[in-house]
Amino acid sequence: MTLLKVDNLKVHFPIRGGFFRSVVDHVKAVDGVSFELQQGETYGLVGESGSGKSTTGKAVVKLNDVTSGQILFEGRDLAALSRKEIKPFRKDIQMIFQDPYSSLNPKKRVLDIIAEPLRNFERLSPAEEKKIVQDFLDKVGLSPESIHKYPHEFSGGQRQRIGIARSLTLKPKLIIADEPVSALDVSVQAQVLNFLQDLQAEFNLTYLFVGHDLGVIRHMCDRMGVMYRGRLVEEGRSDEIYENPQHIYTKRLIAAIPDLEPEVRGDKVKLRKKLTAEYESSYSKFFDENGRAYDLKPISSTHRVALL
Amino acid sequence: MEMKVETGKNIQVKDVSPSGMKIIWQEIKKDKLAMGSLIILVAILVFVYGASFFMDAKEIAKVDFLSIYLEPSSDYWLGTDYGGRDVFGQLIIGTRNSFTISLFITLFTAIIGLTLGLLSGYFGGATDNVIMRIIDFVIALPQMMFIIVVVTIVPVFNVYVFIMIMTLFLWTGKARLIRSKALSERELDYIHASKTLGTPHWKIILFQLLPNVSSLIIVNFILNLAGNIGLESSLTFLGFGLPESTPSLGTLISYARNPDVLENKWWIWVPASLMILVLMLSINFVGQALKRAADARQRRG
Amino acid sequence: MWKFILRRLLVMIPQLFLLSIIVFMMAKAMPGDALSGQEINPRANPAELDRIREELGLNDPWYQQYLRWASNAVQGDFGISYTHKTPVMDVIEDRLWNTVFLALVTLIFTYMLAIPLGILSGRYNDTWVDKTVTGYSYVGFGTPIFIFALIMLFIFGFALDWFPSGGSVDSKVDEGTFAYVVSKINHLILPALSTALIATTSTIQYLRNEIIDNKIKDFVRTARSKGVPESKVYSRHILRNSFLPIAAFLGYEITGLIGGAVIIETIFSYPGLGQLFLSSVSLRDFSVVTAIVMMTGFATLLGTLLSDIILSAVDPRIRIE
Ligand SMILES: Nc1ncnc2c1ncn2[C@@H]1O[C@H](COP(=O)(O)OP(=O)(O)O)[C@@H](O)[C@H]1O
Ligand SMILES: [Mg+2]
Repeated sequence: MTLLKVDNLKVHFPIRGGFFRSVVDHVKAVDGVSFELQQGETYGLVGESGSGKSTTGKAVVKLNDVTSGQILFEGRDLAALSRKEIKPFRKDIQMIFQDPYSSLNPKKRVLDIIAEPLRNFERLSPAEEKKIVQDFLDKVGLSPESIHKYPHEFSGGQRQRIGIARSLTLKPKLIIADEPVSALDVSVQAQVLNFLQDLQAEFNLTYLFVGHDLGVIRHMCDRMGVMYRGRLVEEGRSDEIYENPQHIYTKRLIAAIPDLEPEVRGDKVKLRKKLTAEYESSYSKFFDENGRAYDLKPISSTHRVALL
Repeated sequence: MEMKVETGKNIQVKDVSPSGMKIIWQEIKKDKLAMGSLIILVAILVFVYGASFFMDAKEIAKVDFLSIYLEPSSDYWLGTDYGGRDVFGQLIIGTRNSFTISLFITLFTAIIGLTLGLLSGYFGGATDNVIMRIIDFVIALPQMMFIIVVVTIVPVFNVYVFIMIMTLFLWTGKARLIRSKALSERELDYIHASKTLGTPHWKIILFQLLPNVSSLIIVNFILNLAGNIGLESSLTFLGFGLPESTPSLGTLISYARNPDVLENKWWIWVPASLMILVLMLSINFVGQALKRAADARQRRG
Repeated sequence: MWKFILRRLLVMIPQLFLLSIIVFMMAKAMPGDALSGQEINPRANPAELDRIREELGLNDPWYQQYLRWASNAVQGDFGISYTHKTPVMDVIEDRLWNTVFLALVTLIFTYMLAIPLGILSGRYNDTWVDKTVTGYSYVGFGTPIFIFALIMLFIFGFALDWFPSGGSVDSKVDEGTFAYVVSKINHLILPALSTALIATTSTIQYLRNEIIDNKIKDFVRTARSKGVPESKVYSRHILRNSFLPIAAFLGYEITGLIGGAVIIETIFSYPGLGQLFLSSVSLRDFSVVTAIVMMTGFATLLGTLLSDIILSAVDPRIRIE
């Protein structure tokens, strides 16, 4: 069942300039992106920083205005709804933010942070509320006494768990995780990732997982889309893309993953050189005269690539 | 591993609130100058408000031509003025009036500045544009002259009108300060998070944004309070501040515009001048200490 | 850059318009006819009164009155002063120059104090020199100018009698002589110094912090690591970068001085615009008041404009906003 269908989404930010501060140009942060998420799956959006991943994710939760295109959630077009009309959908779509430091209000106790969504949607007695918050704290592996503490008393990993608990309280169907581990120490990254997978099984969640680290995305996601300059350049099952990349950008992205084994390092360097040459020689195969990636074309039933 | 660490020290750090009066108190305690200032300030205020409670303002304001320009004595601790009125009594009443009125001016400007600053910074866009244009304009006016002209042309003039006029011209700096802070806060993810959690705008502004500008507001409030005492007494000194029925510290000092008083009758203007200096400096020292602490906290991250 | 200046100038047009409307409305609210300086005797008989009102154009719709007043004002015609019985501009002119002189000398004093003290304090920060200077700035910041000026006048004008205690020039010396210039300067020193000693404190602090910030910047470190002598590091790198923002405050500084003129000129009985303003308010010579408010309002807008432009030249980020 299709839970979310993003169709030809465009998010353009105006650039003002000139004499009267009029709009002179646009940053085409997202420029015609389409993908679908099936119920229960994890879909990854990967790409270098600035490629428009976060903007895509934020458009789904209406943190950005949509320039054009559709965002169909269970068949309803969210892009066409006003802020008021979107409110019931807030329960179903939640977001986990990248930076565990700025995403928790430093002046609020954990109880107030996690209970914020509950207070918006449900009428609970303080005791009930506390009970629910403590249950969720327990689920994310924090002690129930944490409710009286402030965010600065926790480590980055713990804070991210608080943010995750907050996003779970309304029992959402879809969670947009915007690089949920990239601000964390490598040692706790895997922990949080595994734990996100456990939660997915427990709550039957669907993830839109944003990241710049192909390794992480591959580990987490069933399918992924590769973004470059606001466009999807390749989409397919994670293993497909990882083993058999077709777009030059995807290839370079994979080649850029640092290797720990010394014996293959030399090969990697050669590979990168070769890809740079290919990028230059066959540029027009992948990008039109404006440097814009072509539309996706299927090369198998699951795999699509932006080729001429 | 990280979980073990946190169960250990869970209970003992239960109530360290990162905001509120407690933190202010801690910052002041650390700073000797600020602490001394606070003690002096509180002592003066307790004495002044206490003593003025037992004083008869009408009695003090009564002209007595038999005791004009008396030097300080046991009857008149600080002598008398050109109307034979007790300077000490006027000093107490004046201090009380100056402080109370400046407090109200500061309070009202804070309310206006806070409201407009938060709205402007949080919503940005057209709201911000309109509010900022108004602020830019009012801030660029020669305020003192405008206040003086408005004071002279208003049909009724009393303390309340004076407070209103001052408020009208003095809210802008605060609004601008709070707006720029709100503008940077609203880009932080905790505000984004609140939006995605379905929290309405007014709640986000009041319960998420406001607590994070609170230390800025407190510092600014304190510094403004000192500034307003100076401004109010300056205006009264010039003869365009508090109406005569409400003597202020500026009233006593304004007698020194007469060169004879300035040169030969120090007891009339020096005590009031010192009072203003002590009030303003001690309030400032407390405010500066808090400001330094807030800046340092910001720098640490 | 030019675009910014042009845009900023364009912003000033509605501001000026708004200012003139407000001043016009204040003038209308003043008793008598503040726009032309005519005094209307309320006891005159009604027919006579009406004739005067008609003659002065007081029965015209307000926008016609406004346009007439504004176009006159642009040409420097602010009507007649009813106390001096001469055109307002003639009354204002001498006073205006006195205020300009005073402001100029004050500015010179302000920067003469701020620059060495700020540099000392910033270069040797956290030494006793810095602590003394910072202490002075804190005290200065919290001291109202009228009290400080009174104390200065009392000490140096009366008790020690080093300086004249009022006026702008000794009435016994003749205009154009050397003694006249000396006397003028002599009258300026005390008011200018009193203002400067207080006004300089924020500039000192700003310069100090600016230097401390620049000290640890990369280009300074690089210069040092290349073996550039310390004094050159300061003169070539740190100071140049620290002075620009200070220069930018010039406009705001002027704005502040205009506001402060009312107080300082009153205390030192200095015949400038501020004192004229106050005495005109007291004498209800409202055509003069209107003219002064309009002119100082214009000057303040200009001062802010100046600072905004310098600041944007120094720090391009401001332009974006
Ligand atoms: N609010 C905004 N206003 C203007 N430009 C923006 C805004 N948000 C993002 N952008 C621009 O859109 C592009 C994509 O940004 P983003 O979606 O954050 O990329 P990613 O998450 O892939 O790193 C970037 O060039 C960024 O500068
Ligand atoms: Mg991002």
